[in-house]
Amino acid sequence: MKVQVKNLRKEFGKTVAVDNISFAFDSGHIFGFVGPNGAGKTTTMRIISTIEEPTDGDVLLNGISVREQPELARKAVGYVPDSLPAHADITVHEYLDFYARAYGLKGRQRTQAVEAIEEFTNVAGIRQKHLKALSKGMKQRVSLGRALVYDPDVLVLDEPAAGLDPRARVELRELLGLLAERKKAILISSHILTELTEICTGVVIIERGKLLETGTIEEVLKKSAARRTVAVRLLNREQTPSLLKELLQTPLVDKPREVGTEVHFELGGEDDAACEILGLLIGKGFKVLEFRQTKADLEDIFMNVTKGGVQ
Amino acid sequence: MNSSTSAIGKLKAHFANWRRWELNPIVVKELRQAVRSWSVTGMLLLFLAVLFCTALIVLVTQTLEFSTNTRLGAEIFQIFSGILTGASLIFIPLYVGIRLAAERQDSNLDLLYITTLTPARIIRGKFLCGAYMTVLFFSACMPFMAFTNLLRGVDLPTVAFILIYLFSVICVVNQVAIFIACLPISKWFKILLGLAGLVTAFPITSGLIFSFYSLMQSGVGSMMAGTMFWSVFFTVSGIVLAVVVLLYFLSVALISPPSANRGLPVKTYLTVIWVIGAIISLAWMVKTHETAPAVVWCVITMILMCGSLIVVVSNQDQLSLRVRRSIPANAVGRLLAFLFYNGAAGGLVWVTFISFATYFLTMLAVKWIPSVLPAYKSIPNRTEFQWMMCGTILYAMAYALTALFIHRKFLSRRPPKLAGIFTILLPALWALIPNIVLFFGNRLSFRSLEATQLGNVFNLYMTKTPEQQIAHIACASLWLVVVVVLNFSWFIRQLREFRPLGSAGPTVRVEPSVPPRIPAEPTVS
Repeated sequence: MKVQVKNLRKEFGKTVAVDNISFAFDSGHIFGFVGPNGAGKTTTMRIISTIEEPTDGDVLLNGISVREQPELARKAVGYVPDSLPAHADITVHEYLDFYARAYGLKGRQRTQAVEAIEEFTNVAGIRQKHLKALSKGMKQRVSLGRALVYDPDVLVLDEPAAGLDPRARVELRELLGLLAERKKAILISSHILTELTEICTGVVIIERGKLLETGTIEEVLKKSAARRTVAVRLLNREQTPSLLKELLQTPLVDKPREVGTEVHFELGGEDDAACEILGLLIGKGFKVLEFRQTKADLEDIFMNVTKGGVQ
Repeated sequence: MNSSTSAIGKLKAHFANWRRWELNPIVVKELRQAVRSWSVTGMLLLFLAVLFCTALIVLVTQTLEFSTNTRLGAEIFQIFSGILTGASLIFIPLYVGIRLAAERQDSNLDLLYITTLTPARIIRGKFLCGAYMTVLFFSACMPFMAFTNLLRGVDLPTVAFILIYLFSVICVVNQVAIFIACLPISKWFKILLGLAGLVTAFPITSGLIFSFYSLMQSGVGSMMAGTMFWSVFFTVSGIVLAVVVLLYFLSVALISPPSANRGLPVKTYLTVIWVIGAIISLAWMVKTHETAPAVVWCVITMILMCGSLIVVVSNQDQLSLRVRRSIPANAVGRLLAFLFYNGAAGGLVWVTFISFATYFLTMLAVKWIPSVLPAYKSIPNRTEFQWMMCGTILYAMAYALTALFIHRKFLSRRPPKLAGIFTILLPALWALIPNIVLFFGNRLSFRSLEATQLGNVFNLYMTKTPEQQIAHIACASLWLVVVVVLNFSWFIRQLREFRPLGSAGPTVRVEPSVPPRIPAEPTVS
């Protein structure tokens, strides 16, 4: 299953919520969808899930346009919103059963699908509970179960981890891992970037409706690794001024500064450049006690590429 | 031929698999929720308590001599039917409407609308849920009504007829509630409409109770022998059914995705009931030897066409790819598709055709038939009616085309529904502003309202002399000619662009032309 977002644009009156964004991902992969509040993540996800109609551009799910054939596209996509709609008077089992019916599952096939999903999402024990009586974590499981009951190829999860306790988060992460193994294409938005780094294979970063960065985690990290931070700790702190002076004259080095007992600087180039710098410093008589490079994680990339503005 | 064969094949397969038929999922969900809902169970309990107390009070206050009141059964039945009418006519449509309106709110997204259920199945499910709930209320009332049959004064045909009649009315009101809930308006507007509906429900309830009383007095059984009863029965039932189905099609169109061909089913249905209406009115003309049925048909059609005009001018100029894919390649098919598919230009032609055809057919019936067949009576004030209808059509078209021009010329970046809003606002403002000015000048009177106010369609109905009406017709015609000229190039462009996808000629841009910044191919494989 290929998910292709092509030149997507969505306007609400004069506000441009999504401004010409394009990205793509494939089955078996979990893509993190990252951006500040009001960046247009939910709108994009709603368009992919056929809830919203784009102003321009399109989303293709294995070639099926969500704009032109939303009914057909719906069979391929499961949407998990940030909160479950409030149904005060329906049980978990009835809720899942209804969606199985709505997606055309009949008789024994439906019963088996609902039971399998209850097992998979671990809600079998609460199947007779009313939705309003569930905790946030359990509601999120039911919501995931609802989206999975008809076995869609694409899953769109809008901040599924928001408000979950640590245990529920770990369990959700495990569930998503299992789903990726089952060859689902997953798009997940979250503000907890460290978690995304752990579970995602790719990332899409947007701000003010515009695409800032997209690709696999490795690709994106590699791009930012072009300017890594290197920390050097000397045995003899008296050498620090001459080290700073030396670094200022060294090619590929930028912004050398003293941070506590260490000297930090930005280094361009690949890993070879770091080795060369280390060799150079030792060769010049600096007694290097520690030399480490801090690779940027998703959080650093996010902070670097976004400006923090909201629409 | 192939498509009809495959449709028959599908239908055969559907009926062959009758063992695998299942209830509409919406009905299952709604009824499960209804039986758990405090509002439904509470209302049912209250309903039963009221019925029980009423029966008790009426019976306790009777004398022990049974022969003294020979109409006791009828009296109690009337009270019970009144309670049943009040409870079911107000509560059930309100329940069905509120639930659907809540689900349609963007803030409380119900995921129902992202399932593969078709909009038609959703609306059918909601309607059936309302019908089942009505049956539930009726069955709760049934033991009490059966009890009245043990007393005197009630005949079974009348009881059956009243209950069927009431059931039909509740189904109509349910469909109205569903339609209002589907309207693309704000929550507060829906609440306002709901309140207006609630206020309207009281006179409807009173009217129904009064009609039950009349039916109980006369007895339906005795009337069933005459053909007139059945003629009226089938005509009224036909009109009620036509209204319910129209509201059903409109509701389905309202919840369909914008890229769907929403116009086709609604316009096809309206055309079909327009033709059937003409046949029924002709049958009534033959039966009664009066031309009034043609006038009724004409007025109803004009009201529907005025409503349709507001909707068609709110259509987008650009057709979705999905609609364009289904445009037939042959000329006749394309012409018909132009009339019946989405799009303001085709919609305007369709409304114009139906309106003028209705006008000329009615005039033919009202003027020509009585002159050829003297046995047929014409309507009083025939000429006045003729001018009024003609003026109304011309003004309506002029308002719509003016609204369309204003939207296209000055507000083309705003949503096309603004053109529909202008179509309502133009006649409203034109009617109000001169009279407000007169009011503040202390010159507003019945005489001033009857004076000629050119451009005001409502003034057409207040005028007294033929000269005034002719002045209105001249003004509306002139205005229409001007706006037709102003919109002509747009219309021709729309006509040219209405062609199947992939054929030569100017095309509507749907896909963005800017190349994507990120490669469209998957970045991960």
